[in-house]
Amino acid sequence: MVLELQKPRPIWQIMFSTHHTDVGLLYLITSMSFLFMGGALALAIRAELFLPGAQIIGDAMTFNRIFTVHGTTLIFLFIIPFASAVGNYFVPIMVRYKDMAYPKLNAIAFWMIPPAGALIWLGFADFTWYATPPYSIISAPGPAADMWIFGLKILGISSVLGAINFVVTILKCKHPDMSIGQVPLLAWSFLSSSLIILVAIPTFAAALLMLLTDRLGVTGFFNPAMGGDPIAYAHLFWFTFHPEVYVLVIPAIGMMYEIIPRFSRRPIFSYNSGVFAFVLLSIVGFSSWAHHMYATGMSFTEKTVFMVGTLAAVPASAMHVFNFIATMWNGRIRFATPMMWAVGGIALFFSAGAGGVANAAMPLDFTTHDTYWVVGHFHLFVMGTIAFGSIGYFYYMFPYVTGRMYNETMGKVHFVMSFIGTILVFFTQHVLGLYGMPRRIFDYPPIPEWIAMNQIVTVGAMIIGVSMAIFLGNMIYSSAKGKPVDAHDPFELGGKYYYPFEQKNPHH
Amino acid sequence: MKSIVGLFLVLAILVIIPAADYVFAAGAEPGEYLDRRVVIWNLFYRLMAVAFVVGTVVSGTMIWQCWRFRESHPKAKPTPYEKEGVW
Amino acid sequence: MKKKEYGRKMGGHSNWPEWIYVGIVIALMLWVGAEAWNVERLVEHVPEGAEVIKVTGQQWFWTFEHEDGTKEIGELHVEKGKAYKFEITAKDVNHSFNIHDYVVLMDAIPGRVNTVWFAPTDVGEHDIQCREYCGLIHYNMRGTLYVEEPSS
Repeated sequence: MVLELQKPRPIWQIMFSTHHTDVGLLYLITSMSFLFMGGALALAIRAELFLPGAQIIGDAMTFNRIFTVHGTTLIFLFIIPFASAVGNYFVPIMVRYKDMAYPKLNAIAFWMIPPAGALIWLGFADFTWYATPPYSIISAPGPAADMWIFGLKILGISSVLGAINFVVTILKCKHPDMSIGQVPLLAWSFLSSSLIILVAIPTFAAALLMLLTDRLGVTGFFNPAMGGDPIAYAHLFWFTFHPEVYVLVIPAIGMMYEIIPRFSRRPIFSYNSGVFAFVLLSIVGFSSWAHHMYATGMSFTEKTVFMVGTLAAVPASAMHVFNFIATMWNGRIRFATPMMWAVGGIALFFSAGAGGVANAAMPLDFTTHDTYWVVGHFHLFVMGTIAFGSIGYFYYMFPYVTGRMYNETMGKVHFVMSFIGTILVFFTQHVLGLYGMPRRIFDYPPIPEWIAMNQIVTVGAMIIGVSMAIFLGNMIYSSAKGKPVDAHDPFELGGKYYYPFEQKNPHH
Repeated sequence: MKSIVGLFLVLAILVIIPAADYVFAAGAEPGEYLDRRVVIWNLFYRLMAVAFVVGTVVSGTMIWQCWRFRESHPKAKPTPYEKEGVW
Repeated sequence: MKKKEYGRKMGGHSNWPEWIYVGIVIALMLWVGAEAWNVERLVEHVPEGAEVIKVTGQQWFWTFEHEDGTKEIGELHVEKGKAYKFEITAKDVNHSFNIHDYVVLMDAIPGRVNTVWFAPTDVGEHDIQCREYCGLIHYNMRGTLYVEEPSS
């Protein structure tokens, strides 16, 4: 895996390669590009909401399109491809196999992402990432909406193909000397999240097709005017996308499981409980989807069942937090940049989880549902936990990929600014939600509390924006001019890690 | 083993099934006349009180251990695993 | 490969702190669930004699119809001390009927009638808003609730 960028090769050799590190590199560059594109949209949203009234973004339609593409981009084009990048680099090496199980399938799965991203960005749909009918059927302007549907369809196929590849690589291609109980936790996280994808995605794939035929007017699955039921879409959608949040978060937890023991200079406190919690989470994750729909008029019984299902996922997540804290205990921790991101990510993971428990309590839905509380809550997961784990891991794998070290000071500045920004933005958004500000609004009435909190949020977002610019500069500069490192131990921690980092599978 | 199965069967019939029945089917009767603001916000504040206590314990532990177990701490000593060189 | 070389198993230490911790978490979740269940039971069941107000959401305003047939658009007049039951539906796309000050929230979905009830306790004016994304003017789908002294 080492030194992918040190021996210059023509770009087409990387693009048409099926080697797992080349595909991983393509995933990495793509997902990072979309991170910056989606982040720029977030800054536009925040700039607009700094004051009531229309300032930056001229009209509501543009605003609605921006937040739709912002959400779609960061979930489907940043988080998921980033996890695939890490998986492609590390899973074959961790299970000691020469490549992914199906290299060509791997390359195909990657090459579905650019056209899907192009469809989403050129269409610029406006019906939110949730595409709720009947709005998406009777009101959303095409062809943007149809392009979004096709884009998501392609992305769904891509992640199913990737998931099949990971499952087969881990279960069937691991070294014969290695039992499943010796597979590192990062690989376990890919196994569990891939299994969730295989079970969950087909439901949404079906719902997307039905949405498309509804839009064409030939069917009325979700169109009440034709006897359909919009709530059916909500169930199909959340049956996929509640487990999907575990698909997003589990690999990020797996990345923290790599970083934290390495920099604490201690092994994982309990490998077994990590595996147990991953597997449990990927099963229990399927029992809670309708907690997104308390307000749609569900019966008391349904709400109770889904509240219990939601709360049941908490102990498994809490076991990860315990494992991290217990691993760091009595260690000798080097707070290099990846470790700072991982520890910050755990703290925010806990906050996000606590907010999630409050969301699960059904009466509190009356106060928080579809307000900025929800926005703050899930952003603490996707930004505070998943992006923090991912960016930490990005710093961690940077010397292995490029053979050069990033600028440590700039990395720490990036972390501190992002951490402060994240707390300012998303904690404030929780409070803003309690004051009743609905999400997805272009403009708000000049209520003094709302204005003050929106301004705090915008300032925090700008801090994150600046830190991300520093990050981008650091990565570009260091990949070309950074200090060359010893690939055996780039962080100078001493010792040998438990799997061969320095290994490079030959190109084939 | 058989007796445990039997015990759970009896327990299920006696306790769990009626309790679950009650939990899921509660309230066909007309409701009380109450102020929903008071009831719901009270629940919110109770949950938040607990959440902040738990949060203080967890984040306090993390901040303390980050301070105590950093490698630049005066009392930091190599972990046992560093001698073997594998962890 | 020998187990020791992987060096990430339990390392001979016991795991009882984790089980105690998991026990505490489960106990906390049981408590949260029980409290939430009880409160939901209290707020969900409509008291007897609640007056019905039919609420219809459409792009981008609210229509209210009282029991005596009077209709209001964009504003709603109710009397202090009475219980009201909203029967909420929508004409075109999904909306969500929300009086944040009174913690009233229920989705308005075409083809369905959802209910939620409340009993205003003080005279005053409160915002009514739409909380579910419904298109272009979603941000301004607002109304006002006027709570007045009882007439009789």
